[in-house]
Amino acid sequence: MHGWGITLHIQSVSNEVLRIEEGSLYPALHRMEKAGWVKAEWGLSENNRRARFYKITAAGRNRLRSEQEKWESVAQAIALVLRSKALA
Amino acid sequence: MSWISRWRMRRDAELNEELEFHLAMREQWNRDRGMQGDMARRNARLRFGNPQVWRERMHEMGWATLPQSVLQDVKYGLRSIRRNARFTAVAVIALTIGIGINTTVFTAYKALLKRGVEARDASSIVSLNQVRQSGKREKQFSYPDYEAYKQQTHTVIGLIASGQQFEQLIMSDAGGSISDRQAASESLFSRWGLVPSPTNASKAELASITTVSENYFAVLGVAPLRGRFFSEEDRKSLPAAPAVLISENYWQKRFGGDPAIVGKAIRLNGVAVTIIGITPRDFVGTLIGVPDFWAPLSLQPVIHPGDRSLRDLESPCCMVYGRVSPDSSMAQVQAEMSAIAAQRTKLHKVKDAKDTTKGISILPGSPFAMDLDRNLRFAIFLMMLATAMVLVIACANVASLQLARAAARQSELGVRISLGASRRRLIRQLLTESALLGIIAGVLALLCSWGMLRILAKEAKDTLPANMGTFIVNVNPDAAIFSYVFGISILAGVLFGLAPSLESTRSALSTWMKANTAMAPARNRRLRDWLTGGQVAVSFVLLIAGSMMVRSAFHALTMNTGYETAHVIDLTLQFPQGPEYDSARQNALLSHIIERVGAMPGVAEIAKGRPPDGGGLRSAAVAIDGKRPDSHNMNAYLFYTYVDANYFHALDIPIVYGRGFHQGAAAPEPTVVLSETAAQKLWPGQNPIGRALEMDSDGQFHERNELLPDRRSYQVVGVTRDVRGVLIDNSDAAEIYLQIPENRRNEFPTLVRTSIAPGRLTHGIEESIASVDGNIVASASTLSDMLKQTPPFLVSGLVALIAGTIGLLGLLLAAMGIYGTLSYMVVLRTREVGIRMALGARRAEVLWLLLRQSSVPVIYGLLVGCLLAMADFYLLRKVLYGVGPLDAVSYSSISTLFLLVALAASFVPARRATRVEPSVALRYE
Repeated sequence: MHGWGITLHIQSVSNEVLRIEEGSLYPALHRMEKAGWVKAEWGLSENNRRARFYKITAAGRNRLRSEQEKWESVAQAIALVLRSKALA
Repeated sequence: MSWISRWRMRRDAELNEELEFHLAMREQWNRDRGMQGDMARRNARLRFGNPQVWRERMHEMGWATLPQSVLQDVKYGLRSIRRNARFTAVAVIALTIGIGINTTVFTAYKALLKRGVEARDASSIVSLNQVRQSGKREKQFSYPDYEAYKQQTHTVIGLIASGQQFEQLIMSDAGGSISDRQAASESLFSRWGLVPSPTNASKAELASITTVSENYFAVLGVAPLRGRFFSEEDRKSLPAAPAVLISENYWQKRFGGDPAIVGKAIRLNGVAVTIIGITPRDFVGTLIGVPDFWAPLSLQPVIHPGDRSLRDLESPCCMVYGRVSPDSSMAQVQAEMSAIAAQRTKLHKVKDAKDTTKGISILPGSPFAMDLDRNLRFAIFLMMLATAMVLVIACANVASLQLARAAARQSELGVRISLGASRRRLIRQLLTESALLGIIAGVLALLCSWGMLRILAKEAKDTLPANMGTFIVNVNPDAAIFSYVFGISILAGVLFGLAPSLESTRSALSTWMKANTAMAPARNRRLRDWLTGGQVAVSFVLLIAGSMMVRSAFHALTMNTGYETAHVIDLTLQFPQGPEYDSARQNALLSHIIERVGAMPGVAEIAKGRPPDGGGLRSAAVAIDGKRPDSHNMNAYLFYTYVDANYFHALDIPIVYGRGFHQGAAAPEPTVVLSETAAQKLWPGQNPIGRALEMDSDGQFHERNELLPDRRSYQVVGVTRDVRGVLIDNSDAAEIYLQIPENRRNEFPTLVRTSIAPGRLTHGIEESIASVDGNIVASASTLSDMLKQTPPFLVSGLVALIAGTIGLLGLLLAAMGIYGTLSYMVVLRTREVGIRMALGARRAEVLWLLLRQSSVPVIYGLLVGCLLAMADFYLLRKVLYGVGPLDAVSYSSISTLFLLVALAASFVPARRATRVEPSVALRYE
């Protein structure tokens, strides 16, 4: 998927809740590329323009899983804290 | 275009393409949802964020951008260096001087005093020293001893000996000569009057020669340039067919590189010898200079008829070196040699048990025959210290400049941070700038010290007396020393350039807009003041020390020597050797010459005797009141010298009491005249006239068959005023004068006292001598010229030159540093001045405030400097001639100079600041 596609994807999946400054996606992508979590190559987009396509690697998948777990545990913890406060 | 920039351009294009694609897609997306064209594009850009920040972030993210961003840093650095030309110039000059002079001095020190021997695989060459019972080390071995060690050793492959360094022999039959006297008289030092140019009254051809063992070249592992070297096998045939080697240097200088030199026969001291080979250019072996000729030791008795030193067990002959065999350790060599020494000791007849050899010490091969004199070592140490101080000043200089500049750059750094540069990036940028500065200075310094060393080496070569051979010193700037010095100065620059920048980057965003540069952090300012004060103090000390040294040298130069120097010519005659010139004939010729020269108008008197500033010191153990001197009852080692009866008159040495010698006695009466110091040493507080003394020169240096004062009682008849001699510690002021017997006068120099300028007489003297006998070689120089070549004079002259140079460089650096820093600081306060003026301060008040604040650190520095300079004098007092500790003129003039520099540095920009319209000043950056 190219950067624009990822932007759209985030936008639609999150129901437009997450509206980040779009430019900041690219430094993140490049950083992930440097760390070896994604691979990038030039290809042609749907409307026949040259675009840079990013693809997740095995290492990236592993990392994603561990980050996801971490995030979920944190989110759960926060949820617990908030709920207990709400009850009080 | 380099690959970096090509690669960079491609990368930039890719980044842009990705950016453009995203923007285009978003625009399309917006339009699809009904936005107008313009609106769609603006919205796309808005959502994307600032593309400039975006690019900066993408760039610095690494993504293998290092080479590119380094290039960018270098470009920024060069730009900022160009923009701040004055700052750059000052910093570069300071660093160049500091690095350059340190590299030069320390390299010269290493090349001169820490040099080894020149050989293939020189690290396995060692020097042998005999260790006496007294603990004294003796480098000279007798020839029979050397032979014994050579035959018995197994741990050393090849033991070599080198005899007297640089003996002067008369060379004849050498054919047409190419004069080389020009070079010396044109050298810088002699033009500055530091050393005299050699004067030569005759067509003398003297050549220097070094005698070495036959295996010398084989063991050192050098190959002849042409012809062959003598070898161990030649020993039998050499005395019958004498052969010598010529050095390439002399071959070029004297024979113009004549290709027919190998096989040529010349005469040395009247002995026919054949030149069989040429040694490589600048080859010095175990010496420090190149001799004209190398002769085998077995020729010694041939060149010096009657010389028995090769057979004499007691006479010191040569220094001994050896190549350690690869399977032996140093300890093994040491043990084996000491065992041989133990055997040899039994054969020696030594008077004093302290002088017996108790062992051999093995040291790394070195051409220096003895340890350096203590005072000289101290002087060298001081010079090194002074040089290091220059480096300290240079570092302080650059550091304070960096601090001043960092304050000025806070706004620039602030701007860059707010544009999205990271702190790490800024620090790297500053590092790059400092490094650039350092590299420029380093390259310049390397060039400078290369040039300085070359000049120094050439000067040293040209000015050293010819009888030391051609002095060779290898003077490429030493890489280790250079990198060390370079490292220190760069570190200073970088540290001080970085520390305040760290601070400013931390706080930059919040403060730069509000505070601006005028309110640089107080800590920086205090640090800057310290640095300025420190520079002033250190360079003050250097300057005071330098001026004391210079004045002491002039003092030494102009000091009353106690005898006439300007109107006395020292005339040394060398008679050809050989049976036809026996001493009777020599004396007959001599009286002839004295008669002729004495009759010349302008010649007042002629006396024989060693001039006080000439070479050939002799000393003896002295016992008084009828006792024979030996180690138990001798009173002192004193110097003695043989003179004619009219010597005191000819040299204007006053006789204080008693009388001189009687003239005209064929056999002199056994009387002596003492110098005041000698009398004081032997009979403190008593009248020495009429007392008796006896001398013993055994074990002291003298030549074979020399006239000795031993085994005879002498009566003291008179006391003369002291004269200044040639020893640095002035110990040769204690002198015993003896009268020359009539039949030995040919062995002593001739002193001609003139009533007109001596320069007008040399030609006439030369002609008179030639008319008596054309084979006599004569050299003449005035005593004042000789005085300039004596060690005390040379040392103080050299010390003054170096100290003066270092002091002046210190002054230059400090003045530059103070001016640079202070004026920069005042410029930075332009805004503050504007505020003060706007609030109604008067110009004079503001000026006064700035001047006062700038000069405070300088004044503190001067005070500390004064104290240090006085302490410094306490250290230096041993090497200073007649200079008091507190020299009001130097102290006050140097302090005034520093103050003036400080005032000028702040006054010029301060006045400009007060002239500026306050509204402009407020906006000033």
